[in-house]
Amino acid sequence: MIENLGFIAAAYLLVWGGIVVYLISLRRRRERAQRPRT
Amino acid sequence: MIETTAAPFPTIRVRPWLGRLAVASSLIATFMALVWAPTDAVQGDVYRIIYVHVPLAWLAYLAFFVVFLASLGWLWTRRPWFDALAVASAEVGVLFTGMFIVAGSIWAKPTWGVWWTWDPRLVTTAVMFMMYVGYLLLRSLSTDFSRRATRAAVIGVIAVIDIPIVHLSVLWMNSLHQLPTVLRAGGSPSLDAAMGMTLGISVIAFTFVYLAFLAERMSIELERQRRMLEARA
Repeated sequence: MIENLGFIAAAYLLVWGGIVVYLISLRRRRERAQRPRT
Repeated sequence: MIETTAAPFPTIRVRPWLGRLAVASSLIATFMALVWAPTDAVQGDVYRIIYVHVPLAWLAYLAFFVVFLASLGWLWTRRPWFDALAVASAEVGVLFTGMFIVAGSIWAKPTWGVWWTWDPRLVTTAVMFMMYVGYLLLRSLSTDFSRRATRAAVIGVIAVIDIPIVHLSVLWMNSLHQLPTVLRAGGSPSLDAAMGMTLGISVIAFTFVYLAFLAERMSIELERQRRMLEARA
């Protein structure tokens, strides 16, 4: 059994989760930037 | 006189490859960090947080140094391309700093017994984080492109001073934080070879992530600039 597994998992989930959330934010901003103005 | 940003953006063809490289290298780095790298004799497995904490910190330093260079570029040439580079790098740097502070806090709890302590390294890092959050907030205060870019560039040039302060704070003051293990003056890295290799691959992976984010964010900023200048014309 890996000791402190919860801390390791929390750190990795936070980092990769943060990266995925930022990626989604960039995709949305790109769509908004390319949307034709009305 | 502000030049238009309609010139082709050189990273357009590179961007999809950067994304693929970032994903592939991140998968390899995560496998090495969680499975391949040996367990630390003192800390046990929790030390594996180092493989996200340290690369993010180094890439944040790099991101803020790029802000410094791009800010000088704007002040010197007044080319909007430099302002786009500065804001893109600052945003990714703030993201990385926020993540390495929280990852460090998660690592601190089982090793130091606390989530946070008023240690010189932690305090100077928090100051660095706040300065660049301030840099991004400052940009929203003015709608005049040139004035906004110039104010931001001045902050971008001044704020870089905190990077060496953060790195050297553990040498200048009594600190609970570990001393530099790899980037240390007058000595080779004091790290096991397999751990060093895993750290190196992790740094490469996060470098690709940084470059992919930088190129994407910069492209969005250049599109915004182009629209703004079109609207003004």
